[in-house]
Amino acid sequence: MTDPNPLERYSRQMRFPGLGKAGQEKLLASRVTLCGCGALGTVLANTLVRAGVGFVRVIDRDFVEPSNLQRQVLFDEADVANNLPKAEAAAVKLRQINSSVRVEPVVADINRTNIEEFCRDADLILDGSDNFEIRYLINDVAIKHGKPWVYGGAVGAEGMTMTVIPGETPCLRCVFEAAPAPGETGTCETAGVLAPVVSIVASYQATEAIKLLSGNKAAVNRELLMLNVWENTTRRVKVAPLAGRKGKCPCCAVRNFEWLDGAHGTQTTTLCGRNAVQVSHRAAGTLDFGYLAGVLRQTGTVSYNKFLLKFSLVENGDPFEFTVFPDGRAIIKGTSEPDRARTLYAKYVGH
Amino acid sequence: MAIRVEIPGPLREQAGGNTEVAVTGATVGAALADLVRQHPALEPKLFQNGALRPYINVFVNDEDIRYLDEMDTKVTDGVIVALIPAVAGG
Repeated sequence: MTDPNPLERYSRQMRFPGLGKAGQEKLLASRVTLCGCGALGTVLANTLVRAGVGFVRVIDRDFVEPSNLQRQVLFDEADVANNLPKAEAAAVKLRQINSSVRVEPVVADINRTNIEEFCRDADLILDGSDNFEIRYLINDVAIKHGKPWVYGGAVGAEGMTMTVIPGETPCLRCVFEAAPAPGETGTCETAGVLAPVVSIVASYQATEAIKLLSGNKAAVNRELLMLNVWENTTRRVKVAPLAGRKGKCPCCAVRNFEWLDGAHGTQTTTLCGRNAVQVSHRAAGTLDFGYLAGVLRQTGTVSYNKFLLKFSLVENGDPFEFTVFPDGRAIIKGTSEPDRARTLYAKYVGH
Repeated sequence: MAIRVEIPGPLREQAGGNTEVAVTGATVGAALADLVRQHPALEPKLFQNGALRPYINVFVNDEDIRYLDEMDTKVTDGVIVALIPAVAGG
């Protein structure tokens, strides 16, 4: 059935003067690559598909789990029961919400070998990920190919977002020179997360996306926005003067794409016949076992000495055992799949 | 009155659970030195080989010290120094 008035469903946002019919038409013709479809990603995808962004590529390597349902708004109990990949489960819901949007689910581990292909045909890249490895990869790709992207992060009751327009604003590396080392920062698995802070951060990101895609670049937020919904604080800090960091930003000034080139980040090796995968981390520095043990004790059993840290946990009935070394390398027993191991590493050792 | 250093969530445990610590010092460097003197467990979280860890940014009244005078940025009583690490999850 063809809709006699396909724009009617967008009438309320078109009535908003900043957007109008012209802005709506631009949205309908635009393409977005969404990297990660967890808590931030489901809110982003939901908002953009309802808003009529013409094409949304949703990439995620994970499956829907019971602990996702508290905050990952596109998923339900049936998705868990059917053991569906997040990208596929999201695509089903998104098509029900707005069948005129082209949704392309991709079940894949985003890494330096595939990210350029995923982003090449997009007008905008959105960060729906849960780790810095993907964020710095997005930053490299965005700067290299001149595409805007929107960073968002949330943990506990805190969140942060920033919009990057290549050549105009600072990039992620201008503001945060390096990623926290594994184990140095909380993840949603170790520090917990409240759903509202994720929704707020993702809603800011989605607003930025709508501005950029509808031709309203002048309205874009050019500050680093931070908020804490538990302590009732919001702060904006000026980052514009950091752009290019006096010509020395390795990414946007020197155009040395270290994450894309593989100088940083994780690598996996399947340990044949052992049902284990080794995840190694370049440029990780030395891990603080005392601190990491304190964090991990909330989710499993931990012991450590000077040479290694052992951590075992049960996730959805599957037992896993981590052996972590001071240089950030880990052997994860209980899986032979690199993607699963990378996911476990990002969740518990963090990045 | 003193200089107020705001402690972000991930570093509170090392700061005795405080959200804010009153310190003294004429520069950001001196203020942070006073902070780690009061809460030594913060030192390895904030510094590596004497330099600030690259994923922690320092703002003085919402201005990044990297475009002021870095650690030599002058601070006076009543100024807010915010430590802001990148937020990972999502």
